[in-house]
Amino acid sequence: MLETIALRREKEMLREHFAAIVSHELKSPLGAVQQNLYVLAHQLAPKLDDDEKDRLERMKVKIDELIKLIHTWLRVMRVDVSKIAESFVPIPVARIVEKAVESVSPLAVRKDVELRALVAEGVGDVMADEGTLVEALVNVMGNAVKYTHPSTAVVIDASRDGGEIVIEVTDLGVGIAPEDLPYVFDDFFRAKSGREAAGGSGLGLAISRRIVEAHGGSLGVRSELGKGSTFVMTLPTYDGQGDEGAAQATGLPGDVSKETST
Amino acid sequence: MSEPKRLLIIDDDPDFVAGIKDILETANYEVDACYDPDEGLEALHKENYDLLLLDIMMGRGAEGIRIARAMGQDARLRDMPVLIVTGIQEQMAFLFPGQPVHPGFVDVDEVVEKPVEPSLLLDRVETLLERAGKNA
Repeated sequence: MLETIALRREKEMLREHFAAIVSHELKSPLGAVQQNLYVLAHQLAPKLDDDEKDRLERMKVKIDELIKLIHTWLRVMRVDVSKIAESFVPIPVARIVEKAVESVSPLAVRKDVELRALVAEGVGDVMADEGTLVEALVNVMGNAVKYTHPSTAVVIDASRDGGEIVIEVTDLGVGIAPEDLPYVFDDFFRAKSGREAAGGSGLGLAISRRIVEAHGGSLGVRSELGKGSTFVMTLPTYDGQGDEGAAQATGLPGDVSKETST
Repeated sequence: MSEPKRLLIIDDDPDFVAGIKDILETANYEVDACYDPDEGLEALHKENYDLLLLDIMMGRGAEGIRIARAMGQDARLRDMPVLIVTGIQEQMAFLFPGQPVHPGFVDVDEVVEKPVEPSLLLDRVETLLERAGKNA
């Protein structure tokens, strides 16, 4: 009995410190390998033939990707509700959608997928940390592009429903099996039906949900196997009460660094 | 040519330092390295360096910032160019929410991100030394 408690506590500790452990044990040594690879590629360049240079270049790309993956893991562990809320400012929903479309575009072009963004007039603003909220939408849209069939479209529909902003992302892909639906937002989840199409860490949607919830919203999904899926992001509207002043007051309380933004 | 310029690297990862040290030495700089922030600060006080390459996250936390601040308060070290070599772009957001990546620790500093392309590193070092030379 006592042992179980000790074991459980150890597990909790491990979980809490996971970010630090990953950072130290994986990221630092990989960072050193990466830097030395850059240096060697630079120094050896005059002596190598094209094939050798190409191999070295591919190693660089692989290491870069690995490190990016670790950064993603670290971000999931770190998405902290209170921290995100500190940098909230009112941002037009249209801008969030526009930025996300811009970011996912290259991926869509490669798969000949059309990104159709429909932003209802007067959809308004949302209190958000722009970077993270865009990232959440990018993850959802990237996921839609990944699973939709080639040469189809992904529709992004942003509208207002009473006190809520609703952003729906619909793909025409394989869909998600009903038994998989409850687990879609779990860390490292990847649907069976989509396995062959997969790639990536299986963390994107988990991160997205955490980010959206930190914004006071929700992220859900409905899907039909063989027809496609619709991810539904809801966010509270922001109607600018007290206009600029209110927005300022919610950002970074007592932080002098605010004045130095560029 | 004049005497080679003396550079100091403070970074807690010897494997990381090995790479950039080699690049800088090949470019004819005289390079010392400290893998411990306190030793680094000591070396700065004892020796005469022309430029410092400084890591931010070391050991217990943002030790590099402590060093940069200590330099800012030291009449002799205040004007030494500091090139920050760091992999902490996103951690930065946590330390200084709302600030751009380059928080201007010291007047003449520059920031490059890990991993740094050797040619970029050499370029930045050269530019900072030139600028410092003109101001002297």
